[in-house]
Amino acid sequence: MIEFRGVSKAYGSFEVLRDIHLRIEEGEVVVIIGPSGSGKSTLLRCINRLEAISSGELIVNETPLHGKKVDINRFRRDIGIVFQHFNLYPHKKVIDNITLAPVKVLGLSKQEAEERALSYLKRVGIADKAQQYPSQLSGGQQQRVAIARGLAMQPKIMLFDEPTSALDPEMIGEVLDVMRALAHEGMTMVIVTHEMGFAREAADRIVFMDNGQIVEEAAASAFFKEPREERARLFLSRLIKH
Amino acid sequence: MDFAGAYSWPNLSFILQGFGMTLLVAALSILFSFVLGTLLGILRYTRVPLLNPLLAVIIDLIRNLPLLLIIYFIYIVLPQLGLKLPPFGAAIAALTLFEGAMISEIVRGGLTSVDRGQIEAARSSGLGYVQTMRHIILPQALRRMAPPLVSQFISLLKDTSLAIIISLPEIMHNVQILQGHSPNYVIPALIVAALLYFAVNYTLSIIARRLEARKI
Repeated sequence: MIEFRGVSKAYGSFEVLRDIHLRIEEGEVVVIIGPSGSGKSTLLRCINRLEAISSGELIVNETPLHGKKVDINRFRRDIGIVFQHFNLYPHKKVIDNITLAPVKVLGLSKQEAEERALSYLKRVGIADKAQQYPSQLSGGQQQRVAIARGLAMQPKIMLFDEPTSALDPEMIGEVLDVMRALAHEGMTMVIVTHEMGFAREAADRIVFMDNGQIVEEAAASAFFKEPREERARLFLSRLIKH
Repeated sequence: MDFAGAYSWPNLSFILQGFGMTLLVAALSILFSFVLGTLLGILRYTRVPLLNPLLAVIIDLIRNLPLLLIIYFIYIVLPQLGLKLPPFGAAIAALTLFEGAMISEIVRGGLTSVDRGQIEAARSSGLGYVQTMRHIILPQALRRMAPPLVSQFISLLKDTSLAIIISLPEIMHNVQILQGHSPNYVIPALIVAALLYFAVNYTLSIIARRLEARKI
């Protein structure tokens, strides 16, 4: 479903991603971890081409993103993304945040889109907030709206870029619960996070990155029990100390 | 001073006529300069190659010239090049050009102030550039631009008085003509003009303050 073949990305002479090889299958939940500045978010953002790759091949949903002719708006319909800072539209009500793309991009009628939006709001547990503005919600609620907004496009892949990093600790759980439920339903998910507990129980596979490279790739249970690579071991031991 | 004479109905109505012209020229110039400024602001924000540096130079040039000079230029110099405009048209053209340049910077600033994450969220959902501009960037930018825009409109209304130099029959022009009838009329006439300007501009600035208070 997603395949990186020798992908590199550089800003000038600074290499953010180096020779990335990674395959993600349909229905897989892959969590990318690693120290900050290791290229995790860049890797994730390449998948919906928020970042363009410099070399190599990247194929997502059968679309070669390194090719010249990509109908990018058409391509992005099928990939939802949830950002660290939610990025809800502050001038639109919750419901209108969710219906905008289904109406304008998928061509749903206003009524169809609203029904769909409400059903996803119900799934993330905040159907009662539909008529409010994002600023009236807590961080956790805003992030759940952002997830509902992504799901309302009924994408094939959902990307999560540190979805709980900007949240107060007591709100992290409610967002992770929604993500966990989504993972159980078989959604293909790629997640950048620092929540190791979540990674251990919800991920099928862990990708550990450092310095723009994939250092280790392993089943979640195996990785947390016994990482093969020294750098991964060091990273985990530092996390556990705190 | 001759208040009674100055405020005789023919004189008063002459001043009001002038103010009517002031308001008409201001309203049309506001409309045109807003359209021009928004277009230029969006073009600058979009950074169209080649066009962008060219526009930047033109806008800077206009913004750094006195409006009086531009009015004079359009009225005196353009006819030499074969484009003759009456004072009414010349005043509106000059104000539109000058205020349009000012407004384009306000628009560009407003657009730039919209968080990058907003654009990323919109584009990621499959919305195109124009759709993103229309539904996400412009509405947020317009709210932030509203207070400086209204201030600019207030300046514009006051600046219409500079068209006196090309004998546009606006309020200051008519006040000056009254002065020609009798020097004793000048102070009473100026007081009326001041009150009229103040009433309209103060109303606008109250609107601006309201808009400022209404933050997202």
